[in-house]
Amino acid sequence: MRQASRRAALAMLLLAGLAGPGRAQAVDTTQSCGAPAELLDAGGVALPTTARAVQEGELRILVIGSASVFGPGSSGPQAAWPARMEALLARRFPGLAITVEVRGGRGLLAAETAGLLIAELPVLRPHLVLWQSGTVEAVRAIEPERLTDPLNEGAARVAAGGADLVLLDQQFSRFLRANTNVDLYREAIRLVAAAHGVPVLRRYELMHFWAETDRVDLERAPREMRVVVADRLNACLGGAMAALIMDGIAEARGKVSSRP
Amino acid sequence: MRRLIRGGGGRDLRVDFFRGVALWFIFIDHVPGNALGSLTLRNLALCDATEAFVLLAGYAAGLAYGASMDRLGWGLAAAQLARRVGTLYVAHIFLFVVFTAQVGLSAATLDSAAYLDELHLDAFGEQPYRALLEALLLRFQPAFLDILPLYIVLLALLLPALPLLRRPVLLLGLSLALYLGTRMSGANLPGWLHGGWFFNPLAWQLLFLIGCVLGYRPPGAPAPAVPWHPVLIGLSVLLLLLGAAALWATWLSPELTDALPEHVAAVLIEVDKTALHPFRLISMLALAYLLGHAVPIGARWLRGAVAAPFVLLGQHGLPVFCAGIALSFLGRLALEVSDRWAMQAAVNLAGLLALVAVGVVAAWFRLRSRGTAAPAPPDRRPAGVPLPLPDGAAAPRIAP
Repeated sequence: MRQASRRAALAMLLLAGLAGPGRAQAVDTTQSCGAPAELLDAGGVALPTTARAVQEGELRILVIGSASVFGPGSSGPQAAWPARMEALLARRFPGLAITVEVRGGRGLLAAETAGLLIAELPVLRPHLVLWQSGTVEAVRAIEPERLTDPLNEGAARVAAGGADLVLLDQQFSRFLRANTNVDLYREAIRLVAAAHGVPVLRRYELMHFWAETDRVDLERAPREMRVVVADRLNACLGGAMAALIMDGIAEARGKVSSRP
Repeated sequence: MRRLIRGGGGRDLRVDFFRGVALWFIFIDHVPGNALGSLTLRNLALCDATEAFVLLAGYAAGLAYGASMDRLGWGLAAAQLARRVGTLYVAHIFLFVVFTAQVGLSAATLDSAAYLDELHLDAFGEQPYRALLEALLLRFQPAFLDILPLYIVLLALLLPALPLLRRPVLLLGLSLALYLGTRMSGANLPGWLHGGWFFNPLAWQLLFLIGCVLGYRPPGAPAPAVPWHPVLIGLSVLLLLLGAAALWATWLSPELTDALPEHVAAVLIEVDKTALHPFRLISMLALAYLLGHAVPIGARWLRGAVAAPFVLLGQHGLPVFCAGIALSFLGRLALEVSDRWAMQAAVNLAGLLALVAVGVVAAWFRLRSRGTAAPAPPDRRPAGVPLPLPDGAAAPRIAP
């Protein structure tokens, strides 16, 4: 149940012939450090509000989470993945006014980031919310319901406000894998996303893939290289998120254009 | 190896075998990143090795302490049970210390600022004295150290409930009432940092006590069993298929099935493990019922060479369980170094061999310390010292 990649790969295999023409090619993999396309698409989920905002020329994105949304260990806020994603989206959509607001803090539980999210929704009125969660719960071995309940509530609030939502799961590290039951909490995030029909940026699998293929391995980087590797990791993540958003936009446009 | 297996006196080797398999699965599932982890029960059913372990632990406890009570009275049986609880507690604290040392070792190599949230693991680094106290109170249970505390409380609960084994309807009625009350009120034993226990004993006691009732043999009567009934069989099969389909449905593309995965996922989120959701409970019981009827009690393969290691594991549940948890620490450290196939194979092979070795040593020690390979009739032994349990009983301590 927690071998997400294995399952997903199998499901993909089963559905490869049925999943609609040309979906894999629609995903832009150029900025995401060699990650396979199936880790970058929006899982067939459209991001309609985002697509409309892009069309209308102004896109407001709210990024919310615990420590990693600020790109800790990197060379600065401009190197963190939200900024890298913003730069890529700006390049992809020239003339689009993009604002990216980042909220969060070290060690925040989903219950706490949900509070932040609900408070910021009416103020920032984002078109798209990117919500990272699940690390602190896994680390402290908290009952999984204390992750799924706030995620459910937050997702319902975002949907009620008409915004799109993308969830992000945990960072991969061998340390986290060895010392926590991380798969249980990854599965919880996956189920919440499936229940609300929102995509997940599978950060854990992405980082696992990059580490396994020696592309980006922060955990094993020598001390003097840490900042460089952290920057690269954030650039790759920003690229992956941009690719997922682009796929969600394409999905939304495809749905609109195929409407009778 | 087969000479080490206790098999006389109508001992149900099926229970030993499946308990052994559950113990093996628990080892596998406790090593995240283990490739075999996608082949264990949790991938096929809405229940996993934890449920199997608790049900069969209940079975073993009902068998052993029920027989003790019938022969020696409640007082002595309760004393044996209390000693077992003490052993488990000490084992848990030992494993806690090992775990803490392992986290310390891993954390020392992970000092990257990028993993800030992950470093919260180190509760010891932040509040060492408090963490130690909370661990002793069983209120601080790190990941993967949550089954033994549950087992400790379940066995302690059995202490007052032992006489009620003779009145199973009353016992199960009370147990069900506690389960339902727990589920409706959300009551749980308190944890330290956030919320309650990962496995809520107030809910899980129902599965354990069902096991106890199934394991207890009233003097002169056969062990109770749920008889074969086509409707029950059909419902069990249907339930398990439904659970498996639900597990898999959320992986379907929404394009294919419209909103089906959303509804299924919304239901699956509600199937909690903490307070043993009824679907998990019923899945386990259905699985046990089907296996109980699919495998005849005298099945030849149970005495064969393939089953022998697992039967042996199951017959020495406590040392094997504790060794499995300790070994899973080593397995995780090994996979931290490398998770490629060579290391995967090494971890799983060494893990299983080590578990079997623990079972072999425990069985050998049990035989030798009794001075005879063939179990002597209980009445010829001095009362008290070697535990005068019926042959079908699990020894209520690691070793005499």
